[in-house]
Amino acid sequence: MAKTVPFKLITPTQVAFEGDAELVIGVGTEGEEGILASHAPFLTALRPGILRANVVAAGETKRLEFATSEGFLQALPDRVTVLTDAALRREEIDVDVARKELQAAEERQRGLTPQSAEYAREQSAIDFANARIALASH
Amino acid sequence: MPSVRDLRDRIRSLKNTQQITKAMKQVAAAKIRRAEIAQRQARPYADALSEMLRDLIASVGTIDHPFMKPGRDGAPRGLIVMTADKGLAGAFNANLIRTAVLAQRTDPNLVFYAIGTKARNALRRLPQQTAYAVPLSAGPKIEAARSVAAKVTDDFTAGRVSEIVLISAQFVSMMSQRPQTRSIVPVVAERRAATTGPRAEVEFAPSPEDVLTRLLPKYLEFTLYSAMLETDAAFFAAQLIAMSNATDNAGKLIDELTLAMNKARQAAITKEMLEIVGGAEALAG
Repeated sequence: MAKTVPFKLITPTQVAFEGDAELVIGVGTEGEEGILASHAPFLTALRPGILRANVVAAGETKRLEFATSEGFLQALPDRVTVLTDAALRREEIDVDVARKELQAAEERQRGLTPQSAEYAREQSAIDFANARIALASH
Repeated sequence: MPSVRDLRDRIRSLKNTQQITKAMKQVAAAKIRRAEIAQRQARPYADALSEMLRDLIASVGTIDHPFMKPGRDGAPRGLIVMTADKGLAGAFNANLIRTAVLAQRTDPNLVFYAIGTKARNALRRLPQQTAYAVPLSAGPKIEAARSVAAKVTDDFTAGRVSEIVLISAQFVSMMSQRPQTRSIVPVVAERRAATTGPRAEVEFAPSPEDVLTRLLPKYLEFTLYSAMLETDAAFFAAQLIAMSNATDNAGKLIDELTLAMNKARQAAITKEMLEIVGGAEALAG
């Protein structure tokens, strides 16, 4: 069995997951980042996407997947913490809501200039909606 | 002297009032518990966020981000005033609004942002413009916090305001809540002495500046969110005290009126008996 590290997934309203993980994979701004136990101190921003973790509970390894909004991943030798605005498991995703939000965000983005902060905000909403749809439908 | 009937009517109406205040007291007590749970659930995020921010600032100091530079000279200050949506909580909202009015008197060059219906209504009467208003408890607070954060971020980066100051309630204890004023933007970074231990060399991807640029807006959002949770809890505590006092006062008044009513009834009976005795004596006479 691979070495594990305490892993916490935290949103402003709740601790979405807390347990031991062998591997945590987040979508960083520079591409996917895979974190194993005893990782050197590391901090990166996460894009909206699918966060994966191999977690160990009662001796069994399980793959967990969350659709996450933008956030941050912090790895320390003794723990891994992911902060994000929202984290949803597959069964918590309402695809209709995600589709509606996707459409609304795309509509709002159409009138904006690509360099503006508003544009980036809508892009992040679009990415989060897409991540939810992708996770729910595979 | 009021008649027995008048007094009985007043007592009945007071008892009704007392029932309402007692019910509101119980509702406030239940809501405090909910507000406290919400605060507790936000704490892990708060801790993790400030730890990341500390690590970042320790390693880069000040960066070239609008939030870390002083605002445009001469631009008005942005004042976020946070109150509850409803009243019946003693001087809770009035204290917060008074803090805003005092700030407005010392430096009238201001733009207001209102969080909470009571704040919006009070600020409307002041000469300064209210740039944005949201209720405190209409929907998920995190959404409201996000929308206000987006608005003040835009105004600050565009130079429409020079500073963001937040007036919100501080939950000191169940018995004591007071307004607090703090400046939240620009962020003052204190570069601390080099951190020691295993976290002395944190690696950042792609760069500490980039991560910090993304973290600062989150920090603002979350500061507003947690202030909203605290104001909410403080409001229910203030309401609990106010309603508890109102219930006690109504009880005292009911006791006094009941005594007065008994006296009036006794006086009426005595008077009637005297009249009967007087009448009987006159007949016997």
